[in-house]
Amino acid sequence: MNDPGKLVTPNNAYDDLQHRTLSGIPCDLARLIYLASTRDYNSGLYHHEGLFARYGPESTRVALRAAHKDIFYRLVALPLEELVNELGIYVRISREAPTGFIHTWQELEPYRVAVPMEVDSTMVQLFQSNIRLALEVLRFRQEHSRAYPSASSLQPLLGR
Amino acid sequence: MMSTAIFVAFGILLILVLLMIARRKEVEEREGDRAAAPAQCERRNTLQGQELVLRIFSREDREFVLQMRSPRLQRMYKEERRKVALHWVRKTSREVRMIIRTHRLISRLSRNLDAGAEAKLLWQYLELRLICGLLVLFIETFGPHALHDLATYAGELSQLIGRTLPDSAAANRVASSENPGTP
Repeated sequence: MNDPGKLVTPNNAYDDLQHRTLSGIPCDLARLIYLASTRDYNSGLYHHEGLFARYGPESTRVALRAAHKDIFYRLVALPLEELVNELGIYVRISREAPTGFIHTWQELEPYRVAVPMEVDSTMVQLFQSNIRLALEVLRFRQEHSRAYPSASSLQPLLGR
Repeated sequence: MMSTAIFVAFGILLILVLLMIARRKEVEEREGDRAAAPAQCERRNTLQGQELVLRIFSREDREFVLQMRSPRLQRMYKEERRKVALHWVRKTSREVRMIIRTHRLISRLSRNLDAGAEAKLLWQYLELRLICGLLVLFIETFGPHALHDLATYAGELSQLIGRTLPDSAAANRVASSENPGTP
């Protein structure tokens, strides 16, 4: 498991997570969803086999939790326009039909469970509110592009 | 005309006070982070209190939504921001109430209370409660964006006052008793 000669710290695990895993994910929103998916719904604990094998459970959990919060803070700090772009990229990489994706997200609001624990409640409110608005912007753009197909195409709108 | 000027001045004042509270909380959080640093590696890229306020009242976001030229989107935006702004005001008010409650409990056990400082604290608390109430009214009536320019101006003033104040340790001591378990 851990190399006894190597100093194992949460920072190593954090950097490892950033370089090996998160850097391969194309946008912060996708990173947020990915990190939230490593968290157990019932216990709230994070799990990651690769990191666990190299750094042990505690360092792994601290690293995943820290990365989750960092990305969440970055997304909350984004202007609405940039968040719309993030969401557009996420829709594109999901490979779902944009209409279905937007509808599902508006109905189920899965982004609610992507929020890290123990963060400021106003930030949570702002994040969820901004996602709702970003979804509405995408929906509006999509309807607009359907109504005026020559004026714009869907791809640039969804994934700038 | 005169009443409008008074109203605007009052708006500036109340935002100023709220921004100062947010600033005190930042100092407290930074001190808490420093204490917890050896135990964990969590990065603190969190928005500072003032930045969060400006994010809520962002003019850039409003202009972006206006560019869409969708009345439905504009209505939704206004409603969403109103909800977040009200949440922030109520949370701030609630937190200060908790600080005062904790302080009152500590004060009961204290033998050498400074009556003057206590009276001043009580006055500030009542003032803040009133301001929060008015801020709620302001947001409900005029919407969150009427506050943007005032908030920006108040933010600048708040920083200026923060730099002018020689020491805010006493205020921080009171603030640090807010949530003993909070990192």
